[in-house]
Amino acid sequence: MFRSLLAMYRPQFAITIVYMLQATEYQINSYLKWLWRVQDFSKVTYRKSLVKTRHSKTLLFAVKVGMLAQLITALVWGIWAFRNENPSLIFAVDLLFSIPLVWTHLVVVPLLLGRWLYVNPLSAFKVRHSQKIFRDHPGIKIAVAGSYGKTTMKEILATVLAEGKKVAATPANKNVAISHAIFAARLKGDEDILIIEYGEGAPGDVAGFSKNTHPNIGIITGLAPAHLDKYKTLSTAGEDIFSLADYLKDNVYVNEESEAVKPFIKKSYKLFSSQEAVGWKVSNVKTSIHGVSFLMKKGTKTLSLQSLLLGRHQVGPLALAVALAEKLGLSEEQIKIGVSKIEPFEHRMQPREAGGAWIIDDTYNGNIEGMLAGLRLLKELPARRKVYVTPGLVDQGKDSAAIHHQLGKAIVRARPDLIILMKHSVTDGIIRGIRDEKYNGQLVIEEDPLNFYNNLDQFVAAGDLVLLQNDWPDNYN
Amino acid sequence: MKTVAVIFGGQSTEHDVSIITALASVIKPLELTKQYKVEAVYIAKDGSWYWDEKLKDIKLYQSGEIEDFMRKAPKVHLLFDNGLTLVKSSQFAGRKMYKKIDVIFPAMHGTHGEDGELMGLLEMANVPYVGCDFRSSTVAMDKVLAKQVTESAGIQGTPWVWFSSSELSSPRKILESIKRLKYPLFVKPAHLGSSIGISRVEDEKGVMNALEVAAHYDDKVIVEQGVSNLIEVTLPIMGNIEPVPALLERPLTKPEDFFDFDMKYMQGGKKGKGNAKAGAQGYSEIPAQLPTEFYKRAEQTGLDIYKALGCSGIARVDMLIDGKTGKVYFNEVNPLPGGLYAHNWRKAGVSSVELVTKLLDFAQERWQAKQKIATSFSTNYLKQF
Repeated sequence: MFRSLLAMYRPQFAITIVYMLQATEYQINSYLKWLWRVQDFSKVTYRKSLVKTRHSKTLLFAVKVGMLAQLITALVWGIWAFRNENPSLIFAVDLLFSIPLVWTHLVVVPLLLGRWLYVNPLSAFKVRHSQKIFRDHPGIKIAVAGSYGKTTMKEILATVLAEGKKVAATPANKNVAISHAIFAARLKGDEDILIIEYGEGAPGDVAGFSKNTHPNIGIITGLAPAHLDKYKTLSTAGEDIFSLADYLKDNVYVNEESEAVKPFIKKSYKLFSSQEAVGWKVSNVKTSIHGVSFLMKKGTKTLSLQSLLLGRHQVGPLALAVALAEKLGLSEEQIKIGVSKIEPFEHRMQPREAGGAWIIDDTYNGNIEGMLAGLRLLKELPARRKVYVTPGLVDQGKDSAAIHHQLGKAIVRARPDLIILMKHSVTDGIIRGIRDEKYNGQLVIEEDPLNFYNNLDQFVAAGDLVLLQNDWPDNYN
Repeated sequence: MKTVAVIFGGQSTEHDVSIITALASVIKPLELTKQYKVEAVYIAKDGSWYWDEKLKDIKLYQSGEIEDFMRKAPKVHLLFDNGLTLVKSSQFAGRKMYKKIDVIFPAMHGTHGEDGELMGLLEMANVPYVGCDFRSSTVAMDKVLAKQVTESAGIQGTPWVWFSSSELSSPRKILESIKRLKYPLFVKPAHLGSSIGISRVEDEKGVMNALEVAAHYDDKVIVEQGVSNLIEVTLPIMGNIEPVPALLERPLTKPEDFFDFDMKYMQGGKKGKGNAKAGAQGYSEIPAQLPTEFYKRAEQTGLDIYKALGCSGIARVDMLIDGKTGKVYFNEVNPLPGGLYAHNWRKAGVSSVELVTKLLDFAQERWQAKQKIATSFSTNYLKQF
């Protein structure tokens, strides 16, 4: 308690405030919720620290100046009141001790003002301007939406299609309206294909993105509980994601391996999976820690493909990319080369060798479908000892307990020798699932995830296979 | 939760290596197990003992602040109370702090530690401790005794002779004794590890100088004949009754570039290409790429040597192989390998955390077995007086 209080009066507290804002992407509601939840500010920046950007530096400077001004005022006032035995001394003391309280809240004012007076109007202008760019662009526009797997799908498509076409894709996971607008502004106009990722966050988002970017082709990678703080139900999230299909009517490709999309599927949609994609039959799927290989057949054509991506669940998106590439005129050779060039994406089923052990970094996986796919791979790959590590999932709404119970059971079915759970609010739910599935291996509850990750090399040896799934963001602590 | 005291440092030329072994290879993984309370016990170069949490921080030694720490910190007393208790002044009101130790993890290389002296102390305290017991440590760390014991067990070694440092005043006698050995010869202090004081001698001219270098570190010097078509290998082994080998490891050096301390610990095994961090892990082939027959023979010889010397807990056996004939020769045994040879164990499928946990289990298993042995005998001898 004392330590926590003391942390609010340390000079570094200004950095803590700005870090919290930055970690919540300057979303005031999320920041305030986190702020009021924090019990010990000394631990907020334990795992990560403030990234110095123009915005964060400006904000930090403003907060520091403000705090200093309040400190000086309180001290001058206090000294004056003390010397003159003025009863207002109590207010000076109040002013002094209220510095953290004042500035943790006052800091949102310039953000709100900046957002209302500058950022929002400017963004709206840029988005409006981008609508015209997208509408007039002669290239084929492929939109990729879904609760999970959309960044991977986008990267697969971009890599394969780039073998025969001039392709531009939205960078990394920049997938909201303003990111699309910035992307549009950088286009040269001579691209053959644009690939635009749609990052849904609240009802109406995907419909808005469709209106702005004028896609010709839509891909829906799957539906799973995510952002349920805003969507409330999976059905509402599905309706929003499928508004892309409503916009397009045809040329909609849907991943039929996602159970939750099934109620939304219409006859006009084209389906893809690890067995079939747009008329191509997939067979002979083989997985290893070095990637996945498979055959695709359509009529007399046969393609033997090999990718560095891990897991059977990658075959569906790869097969769709192959099918689309063939449809868009790429040669078989170009397609093969393109597929072979796709490398695991950072923190998404990314394998890393450490002293003879294999560690699969899937720490950007934040949904149950992705977790289950990773667990299937863990079960399938041979290893001397299998270790599974997760903190669980955030933003799972009212179904969180059920989802974590399901996760617990799925973990046991993957047959790890050791399960390590990073202790968080959802840990008990996972443990219930683990117990219900009658796990008889070793279960460890880790209270210090940072220490564990930093010392992972001490826990593993040759022949071990470790799957790390999801990373718990600080603002959910 | 059991309390483990890790003892390191010591009055030895390998004092600094011991600090790294203790901090990086023992304390760190032990604390990660969260099954033990780990106490750091540091023996300074002057032989004083200290016990403090701060001693777990490598920066204390790197920055030189250890000198300041030692000036202020109270020294440790040992209390033998059918076990071992650490005692130090709390520095307030004459109070003392006590810490009963359940298991000792010695991480001291070389003199006073690895050579069995520390183990003798722990044996008297009747506390479980990790690694070879005092008898095997004493024999293993005396290259002359180790040669004699292994030879009597039928294990082949290269031809050798030994001298006490007092004999160096008679060079003629010495040169006469080594006439039966073929050059190149290796001259070594009999008790030191980490390749300190070792010289390779190509002809008679260099012999006396090499003997003087070795005698600078030890009062007993051994001269060994080299092996033709040399393949140098080392095998970490752990266990008590049924020892288990790790992987046969082959240092990647030319025969003429044998390992000295500098090469082993300071240059990551590559002379002139410094990478201090690589240390003892940057220069080897694991597992050694040898014909299966050679590999198996060396592995079995290693296990035979481990048993012949009565090793328990952990040790590393160094052997020399004639690359043409496949003959395996005993070289030496290291009862406390630097860094526990964790890099090799990791490749053999034993993580650092598992390694230290297993070693503690072996220590307790050996101690429990020892408790069944009677150590007293009732007589009426005293009544006769």
